[in-house]
Amino acid sequence: MAGSSWRQFKAILRKDLVMELRTHEMITSMGLYAILTMVVYQIALTEAGEALDVRLVMPGLIWVAFIFMSLLGLNRSFVHEKDQGCIDALLLSPVDRPVIFFAKSAGNLLFLLVVELLSLPVFAFLFLQGREGITNPIWLLGVVMFAASVGISGVGTLLATMTVNTTGKDILLAVVFVPLMYPLLRAAVGATFAAIIGGPGSVETFWAWMTWIAGFDVIMLLIAFGLYEFVIGA
Amino acid sequence: MNRTKIARLVLVLGGMLTTAAFLMTFFWANPSLLPDGRVDFSQKIFYFHVPVAEASFLVFFFTALYGVKFLLTKDRRYDMRAKIATEVTLFFVLLTMATGILWTKVAWGVWWQWEPRLTTYFIMTLLVIAYFVLRNSVEDEEKRAVYAAAFGILAFIDAPISFFITRWAESIHPVVLAGGKSSGLEAPMLITFIIAQIGMLMLGYAFYEMRLHEEELKERLEALKVKVGG
Repeated sequence: MAGSSWRQFKAILRKDLVMELRTHEMITSMGLYAILTMVVYQIALTEAGEALDVRLVMPGLIWVAFIFMSLLGLNRSFVHEKDQGCIDALLLSPVDRPVIFFAKSAGNLLFLLVVELLSLPVFAFLFLQGREGITNPIWLLGVVMFAASVGISGVGTLLATMTVNTTGKDILLAVVFVPLMYPLLRAAVGATFAAIIGGPGSVETFWAWMTWIAGFDVIMLLIAFGLYEFVIGA
Repeated sequence: MNRTKIARLVLVLGGMLTTAAFLMTFFWANPSLLPDGRVDFSQKIFYFHVPVAEASFLVFFFTALYGVKFLLTKDRRYDMRAKIATEVTLFFVLLTMATGILWTKVAWGVWWQWEPRLTTYFIMTLLVIAYFVLRNSVEDEEKRAVYAAAFGILAFIDAPISFFITRWAESIHPVVLAGGKSSGLEAPMLITFIIAQIGMLMLGYAFYEMRLHEEELKERLEALKVKVGG
């Protein structure tokens, strides 16, 4: 049984990856969205000029970009399923519902991480040149990005499954998703700040925020996992 | 005595208790004094703001509870109960916000401050509003009930976070009933507060029951219309 679940998981994930490799739709739209967000940041920060240390606001700015980017991706990933009738076929096939949840979440997580990894260097290139470097090890940044993205794609997958069946779709996803994500985002910004700014005690602060993120991930993913069967069956 | 009659009785009692607490606030409970010896009138809002806030957390719990019950039984009556509990939550949440904002203007000099308690409570307000936005944008009745139940359960998680945040994080929001040396109230203050709190919970229960009764009557009316018309 475990073996067949694993095969089903891989099959659904492969389907999403193949579709993305053929159309490049998700990565292109999310990536462009990230770059557009940075253009808007430039407008927002322009009057503050050199007086503002961009590093202080950078953790917030990148998570704003990531959260809205993920909204775009989550919504896309289910609009396809619905428009092309794929979700009905998935439900008809003898696949365990939790497998669908984990496979869709894994796909969304993968796309989100790829775009995050691509857009961070662009952000650094556009805003951080000539500024002080990052003092803490850079992999800390990777840890918080991965952990927070797990929560975003897990809960997001559940919510997008619901909102794709509503009249509001993407708008509604934002309305239900952003406030639910607040605790995670707050901790992610705190951890990112500690990782980027450094200073004495920053590594401890980083791990303190990370326990919040880990706790959120565990609790929310368990609940989302438990609720998914009901939501997708409705 | 049926449920509706009990609810009416509780409504009257709750109204009397909260009114009594309101009067006691001004005529009996110890005044809290400002550093210069004048009476701090803004503190009086404590006897309304805190009971209504605690009631909002408690009623919101029933959104999640009936959500779970609905998912387990698929009984539509639980969906209606969850919806009505959330309606009462929305009412209490807005009252909490309104009274809180008045107080912060007097005590902190600003209408709004992004501090942990206010922020998490604001998030809870948004979640309660989002619950109704979600409900209104699902046409299929069964889907609406399932989605609302799932979202209600997820949204409720913010309530304990908001409640305990003043104990976990650095917050300028007062924590009056936290235990410990510096907290606590003198007897007349505590009694006034408890009366206000009980009254508020009674009002919450009565609002909930009466709204439920109204919805049930509506359903019966619809059923009768179908019967007569068909």
